[in-house]
Amino acid sequence: MVNEELELFIHSYGRKPQMVRAAAHEVLKEVLIRVGLLKEGQDDMVFVGESEEVLTEPDEVEDGIDQHAPVDVLLTIDVLELRRHHHVHVHKCRHVAVEVNFNGRTKRHRFSPATTVGVVTRWARRKFKLEGAAGAEYVLQVCKSTKQPRSDEHLGELVEPSVCSICFDLVKEITPQG
Amino acid sequence: METPDQRLFEADLLSAEFRAGSLKGFWGLAGCDVLPDQPAWPVRILWMAAAPRANAPDRYYVRLDLSGYRSVAPTGTFWDPTTKSILEISKRPKGKPDSRFARVFRTDSWPHSGSAFYHPYDRVAAKDHTQWPTEQPHLVWDSNHTIVDYLEEFHSLLNSGDYIGV
Repeated sequence: MVNEELELFIHSYGRKPQMVRAAAHEVLKEVLIRVGLLKEGQDDMVFVGESEEVLTEPDEVEDGIDQHAPVDVLLTIDVLELRRHHHVHVHKCRHVAVEVNFNGRTKRHRFSPATTVGVVTRWARRKFKLEGAAGAEYVLQVCKSTKQPRSDEHLGELVEPSVCSICFDLVKEITPQG
Repeated sequence: METPDQRLFEADLLSAEFRAGSLKGFWGLAGCDVLPDQPAWPVRILWMAAAPRANAPDRYYVRLDLSGYRSVAPTGTFWDPTTKSILEISKRPKGKPDSRFARVFRTDSWPHSGSAFYHPYDRVAAKDHTQWPTEQPHLVWDSNHTIVDYLEEFHSLLNSGDYIGV
């Protein structure tokens, strides 16, 4: 069991996620160095799993902040429970400051880079009272662009490490016509 | 002998994005529980999970023609694992009236009803709608798109509040 190889999905800014195999006893830092996503002395933060904690945040909270913390990369895959989490995120930002605009109003939250666009969308629909079927057609579009990131993309893949923030508009998806 | 489009598709099945969605139970390639072998290339049968609805299946299969992948968008429609043929309209997923879901999976009469999805990611539908790239620039299929973009788009619809069952 200890030598069993696990599939890990490694995420970082500006590149497609990478699938790597690692043994349960391997130290995470060594795995990340092996695949070229970490170098000795590099101070990037590493998160495991996918953060969904905003979905349980009380409605009245404004400008909230995720508690999802970076891990100690000197721990093993096994100890970090990557058998369950699978996803590993390497990023320079501790949080990604997200602004979502809708109908002239703005909602803000500081997310873990390990948060998917799908989770941010669900949070935004709730904040703007667009839950249920009425909100199903509302999606996030990067401000001043036509880019609508896929719901399985993570904030850490979208946000430049030097910026640590991103702005979205919540827009109604166009229904094909004609 | 495998063609370049087939090799590219099979490489994408091994990508982190496809595997991660598969591990979450979002989608997959149809297995030997529904057919002993995949059809000859360029056709592949895949499935996407759907939100629970009364008397509706927990997944839908699609039969896709992937010729020219990735330069060319897929085309195809729902497939019935029982009859091994195109899924009849009465068994297709339905959406709330006038919703985007109902439009994309429309079952009323249009030239390709029953054989393609009414969406820019379907090459047959896209060919007939030259205004779509202007209206929906984020959904223009190009060679940077993969089968995961296709699956994620339709999986999202099948798990949206506009999906009401069959």
